[in-house]
Amino acid sequence: MIAYKFRSFVAAPSMTKQPDSVNLALLVNPENVFFLKGDFSRESAVAFLTEKIYPQLGTVITGKMLSQKVAEVERSNQVLETGFYIPHAKFTEINRFYIALGLLPAGFKDPKSGLIVKAVLLLLSPNKPAFFQKHLNMLSKLSQVFQPVFIETLLSSSSPEAASALLRKAA
Amino acid sequence: MILNKPKQIFVLSTAMLSFISFWKAASIVLCDFGSSAYYSGGIAAKAFGPAFPWYIMGVMLFAGLMLGVYTESCTMFVRGGVYVVVKEAMGKVMAKLSVSALVFDYTLTGPISSVTAGLYLAGLLENVLPLVNINWQIPSRSFAVFFAVLVTAYFWRANIRGVEESADNNVRIINFVAVIAVALIIWSGITLYIRGFTLPPFKLEFMPNALGWTVNFPWLKTAGLIGIIMAFGHSILALSGLETLAQVYREIEDPKVQNLKKTAVVIFIFSILFTGLLTFISALIIPGDLVVGKYADNLLSGLALELTGPYWARLFMQMAVVVSGALMLVGAVNTSFVGSNGVLNRVAEDGILHDWFRHLHKKYGTTHRLINMIAISQILIIFISRGDVFLLGEAYAFGVLWSLTFNTLSMIILRFRKLEEKREWIFPLNIRVDNTYVPIGLMAVLVILLAATGMNMLTKKVATIAGVLFTMTFYAIFQISEKMNQKKAQLYAPDEDAEEKLNMRREADINTIIPELKKPRRVLIPARNPNNLLHLKAVLETVDDETTDIIVLSAKITHGFATGSETMGEDDKELFRAVVLMAEKYGKTVKPIFMFSNDPFYSIVQIAQAAGVDEIVMGVSGSFGAEAQLEKLAMAWGMLKKSEGAEKMVTARVVWEGRQMSYQLS
Repeated sequence: MIAYKFRSFVAAPSMTKQPDSVNLALLVNPENVFFLKGDFSRESAVAFLTEKIYPQLGTVITGKMLSQKVAEVERSNQVLETGFYIPHAKFTEINRFYIALGLLPAGFKDPKSGLIVKAVLLLLSPNKPAFFQKHLNMLSKLSQVFQPVFIETLLSSSSPEAASALLRKAA
Repeated sequence: MILNKPKQIFVLSTAMLSFISFWKAASIVLCDFGSSAYYSGGIAAKAFGPAFPWYIMGVMLFAGLMLGVYTESCTMFVRGGVYVVVKEAMGKVMAKLSVSALVFDYTLTGPISSVTAGLYLAGLLENVLPLVNINWQIPSRSFAVFFAVLVTAYFWRANIRGVEESADNNVRIINFVAVIAVALIIWSGITLYIRGFTLPPFKLEFMPNALGWTVNFPWLKTAGLIGIIMAFGHSILALSGLETLAQVYREIEDPKVQNLKKTAVVIFIFSILFTGLLTFISALIIPGDLVVGKYADNLLSGLALELTGPYWARLFMQMAVVVSGALMLVGAVNTSFVGSNGVLNRVAEDGILHDWFRHLHKKYGTTHRLINMIAISQILIIFISRGDVFLLGEAYAFGVLWSLTFNTLSMIILRFRKLEEKREWIFPLNIRVDNTYVPIGLMAVLVILLAATGMNMLTKKVATIAGVLFTMTFYAIFQISEKMNQKKAQLYAPDEDAEEKLNMRREADINTIIPELKKPRRVLIPARNPNNLLHLKAVLETVDDETTDIIVLSAKITHGFATGSETMGEDDKELFRAVVLMAEKYGKTVKPIFMFSNDPFYSIVQIAQAAGVDEIVMGVSGSFGAEAQLEKLAMAWGMLKKSEGAEKMVTARVVWEGRQMSYQLS
């Protein structure tokens, strides 16, 4: 569990448990799992997922806003040592998590770290102080689930439906 | 896929990072400061007659004031001492002069202590040998010289091999000495009750050799205030050893200032009762002619032998006194080696002693040339003294007085020069004028010291000549060394020994360090910038290091595979020096760890999970910002998390000026 709060330096630390648990299984469905076959780079993979996540958002964010924000956070986001990449951005306009998972059988070499990336999950979170704890929890949970062996299992699945079923089970 | 493993782990394992209680600190100081009880009374009695106990007691009361001066200076400088304080107040020239005088003090501590121990032992043998039908006439001074050389040679070798002073041994010695002192005081009380007593006279009867050059100044009467100052100057050697308080302060545990005050109070009470009261009682019990005759060189043995009771019991008491004295005095010889070596190393670090002196012993890694120099000086002094403790005592006061005078004067100057610096304790008696606390109390102490110093320059020929020669010689060495170092600095910049001075050890794996963490709670503090340690400060201010292991981790970013030959850079060492200094300031033990890694957050989490920490406290990163730091930490945490389960909650905090962000990982 991750709890987060801002407070003054002198205040005593609060150890109160926050209602911040996340359920990854609820977010995963075949519509937001994609097999990216062919040659992809980091930029093109993220752009693909941005394009795919946009319809889920409705009209609260414009396509331009989304692309700009994702491109901005992309500069600082890092690929994990497991070969899993979570580009993540926060928007004040949204009230829940949105995800788009890209599975890349061929993978791409991350230019910054030199790691081979075979799974990219674009995560959009609400930019609200009360939600930050859940945001951190979600990042932690995703990093925990997407281990190299599990990524290979997902890649070997036959369809987005099978992959999302595997993911729901693991979550 | 192979995860990014840290390539090298360096652990800073310096003794500086373990801290001691006020009682242990007091014991260390007392083993040096308290040892003067065994000789100061006899020397003072020889100098100005039967009024000596009043003056020894007066000096012990004055020691309370000097402890106050040192307390204020220690609260300002964690790594203080005369050199640092004087340099801060009056610059390098005066600092070099004061440290030269201090080295003279330390150098004489060895001979006066070892010779005194030899004289006490000779006195005991004179009484014990006839009991086993050995009727040797022990030439006490020759025996003392022989014994002193042996003791000096022993500690010479021990210090070359790198012996460390053990605070536990100091506590044992002081406890034993305290038991003997209590026994002596009780038995003396009974003796005085049975025999009655007459208080010692105030009248001063100066011996001709205690007047020095003042015999040529008839207008300087050996009576009234001048006489009091003269007698005070002859007794002031009992103050030797206070500098040890400044050296030991850095090791005192949290709460540092409160423990420093307790240390000072313990030293003061012990000194009054041990040195002051026992010297006083000696004058009440030992007949006057024996004080300056038979027992002048071993006054406390004389006290034991002149108590009321059967001879065997008195002899047993003398044995106990000699054993306690030998332990304390011999310990003081070691302190003189460690102290002078420490002070000379401190000035060497400041570039005023040539690197030749700092050369490390091939096998033991000690500064053997400095230790050789100290040992040779001490042995020479022992031979020159021919076992005459009065002569040694006369010379001894020079270094003691000058270093105390420089220190006090510097503290007065710093009151005006460092107005803005917050002091946790100041010497009493101050008048507030605007933002300045005008140190009337300190000024009064300085007047007393200056009067005694000036008078000693006139009354103590040996001290003045030897002290000036020694001080000037050392000053010249410092001057020449500094000039040579300045030239050399332009040719070579790197310091090959720097890593060794930080006492680094390499470990291949974090798991070898985990067993060293034995406290129930653990806090991990990642650190990168020596100027951004606010989060470490926040932890040191609040955490109880009795129950908490504080691990400071610096993970240096490297790319590519480990070669095994990675070394720490100067910036990394600077970070650890800053960490050590801050830990010393708060008197809390930290375990600094340095490692190479491709990803610092990965390393933080790896260490945190391996060590089972309860909290991770980070400083805010200028390049990421607190939120991004927490995100990276959360991802690394999840990535390395072994499995789901009821694992303990781990709090992560990012601390910056006035604020902090915290959350819980599980």
